[in-house]
Amino acid sequence: MDTLVARYSRPAYHENEGLSEQDQQDLHDDVPSLSLKFAMPPVAHPSAWLRAASDDRSNPSCPIKIAHGTTTLAFRFQGGIIVATDSRATAGNWIASQTVKKVIEINSDLLGTMAGGAADCQYWLAWLGMQCRLHELRHKRRISVAAASKILANLVYQYKGMGLSMGTMCAGVTKEEGPALYYIDSDGTRLAGNLFCVGSGQTFAYGVLDAEYRYDLSVEDALELGSRSILAATHRDAYSGGFINLYHVKESGWEKHGFNDTNPIFWKTKLEKGEFSNVTSDLSERV
Amino acid sequence: MSSPFSINGGACVAMVGKDCVAIACDLRLGLQALTVSNNFPKVFQYGEHVFLGLTGLATDVATVSDLFRYKVNMYRLREERAIAPRTFANLVSSSLYERRFGPYFVSPVVAGLDPKTGEPFICGFDSIGCIDFAKDFIVSGTASDQLFGMCESLWEPNLPAEDLFETISQALLNAVDRDALSGWGAHVYIIEKDKVTKRLLKGRQD
Amino acid sequence: MEVLLGITGKDFTLIAASKAAMRGATVLKASDDKTRHLNKHTLMAFSGEAGDTVQFAEYIQANAQLYSMRNETDLSPSALANFVRGELASSLRSRKPYNVNLLLGGVDPITHKPSLYWLDYLASLASLPYAAHGYAQYYCLSILDKHHHPDITLHQGIKILNMCTDELKRRLPIDFKGMTVKAVTKDGIIDIEFDDDKVVKSA
Repeated sequence: MDTLVARYSRPAYHENEGLSEQDQQDLHDDVPSLSLKFAMPPVAHPSAWLRAASDDRSNPSCPIKIAHGTTTLAFRFQGGIIVATDSRATAGNWIASQTVKKVIEINSDLLGTMAGGAADCQYWLAWLGMQCRLHELRHKRRISVAAASKILANLVYQYKGMGLSMGTMCAGVTKEEGPALYYIDSDGTRLAGNLFCVGSGQTFAYGVLDAEYRYDLSVEDALELGSRSILAATHRDAYSGGFINLYHVKESGWEKHGFNDTNPIFWKTKLEKGEFSNVTSDLSERV
Repeated sequence: MSSPFSINGGACVAMVGKDCVAIACDLRLGLQALTVSNNFPKVFQYGEHVFLGLTGLATDVATVSDLFRYKVNMYRLREERAIAPRTFANLVSSSLYERRFGPYFVSPVVAGLDPKTGEPFICGFDSIGCIDFAKDFIVSGTASDQLFGMCESLWEPNLPAEDLFETISQALLNAVDRDALSGWGAHVYIIEKDKVTKRLLKGRQD
Repeated sequence: MEVLLGITGKDFTLIAASKAAMRGATVLKASDDKTRHLNKHTLMAFSGEAGDTVQFAEYIQANAQLYSMRNETDLSPSALANFVRGELASSLRSRKPYNVNLLLGGVDPITHKPSLYWLDYLASLASLPYAAHGYAQYYCLSILDKHHHPDITLHQGIKILNMCTDELKRRLPIDFKGMTVKAVTKDGIIDIEFDDDKVVKSA
């Protein structure tokens, strides 16, 4: 552990800060470089110290509260990829925000989703955007989703055990790959797949999504199913809620389909379709 | 995180108005993050003008509310009169202290009108029976911090019944919207000398 | 990984329980019945700590039957649910509490209204239109939220139940060996044929 700490406490590439021409070619063949400086707490075991100070599951009165609790989903279908998320951030039982943007626009073609540590996801997906742009400049063509997701997976794997917390999905459509969807988490897992849900509300979203998912869904039905799955999760999971953030990724890039409050959507769904029959709308007592 | 007081979630608030009192609760029954029921009221009526709100562990909410149903009925039979809110508050206090070394995990709130004078009465308790008398408002449950903030800013003395309803409703709804473990609808009781009004509030369902 | 599911409809209550009896990593039995008939129109399904489950369920069953014999009338589902809650609540503060989660389904013998009660090992009681216990809650409640209506027929109820078990087969990492399914109607409790051998493809 101490050797790890020593490695991370000073930049790995500090001698070639101003990149020479030949380095430019070498750099992208390497594992994504850690030419970033992170200040380390002056203690013997920084990762253990951080865990003790910020893990609110084992220590409810921990001094550092990290925003948690989420439902995010993405699925591949004939018309591209649907990406949908809720927008709630919680610190313990406190709802810190109802308007978090959990879809991160890496660039005009690639989307990333955010679950787990909000700061971790925001920072590293922005960093991934930078790496993708560098790839474009070096190779004069867009990066594949496979390569982009691998850059991120390799990066988080380098930090394994240091306390990064993220469960993210990378979605994009390229000419070579078609619609491509990858799941990456801070354990270092990277999976390609048709359909993923991530976060504390994932099971509720899976329930609705799996029951009616088909690859040949129309664009309209796919958008509706994505949004309805998030609604299901916000209803049952206390740590999900707020707004439904909906995106459609196509070969021409992604398209935003609104950031809509769940409250009117919920009552519309209940009253017009008769769903959510568990929610009372009269005063009669049951028990 | 898994304190018995916050496993199931829930919130309750009582307020004093002009010749009236109000008591309100949310409707959620959860198991940690999972919402199990959206119809679990936490306010119970024990006489024409006597109400008890109970937040905390759901099993104890049911046990304690049933226990007081029994005790209040026995009181009425023995004394041949309805129990007064102040008497009821003392009954709650001593009953909770009987379980000093193995408490019920509830935070009760009593609200009512004195049967003789019609004077408003509210009070709150900790789980082992310490009474907190108040002239303005009492809050309890997982959203109590948020409720304190709402009540401190919205409540004012001598509110008439309709304004009191608006105040307590806004206080509760906006408090539970900032608490992950409570909400999903609410019940509000407005207690006046010759009339008790019960209303269902449609809250956010997320 | 025990699964309990309950769904009410227009004139029935469906109760389903997984067939696997597991101890550690072993399936001891693949045709276990985790339900007990309390009387002609009330059925209880149970899961939880081995030993506690059957002991508690049969204790309740015996008391329900004793009441029926003494009074020549059956307790209603709501009366039984509140009785069970009382027993579980007093057990909770005893030296050795029962660790049992229950679903209690029935049809009222007089009004013919179907009902379903959800009880956990803490003796929290809730009356619900549909309910589940264990991991099934996390996968099935959202499906039921979407597809359940209060006036569904038994046939539609079984169809929704199939959607739930399909999802569990898809997402649960351990095989629960299919479901015992029973329906309570005004005429009594009937066993429902349920296709356990269906193979579900994942997306």
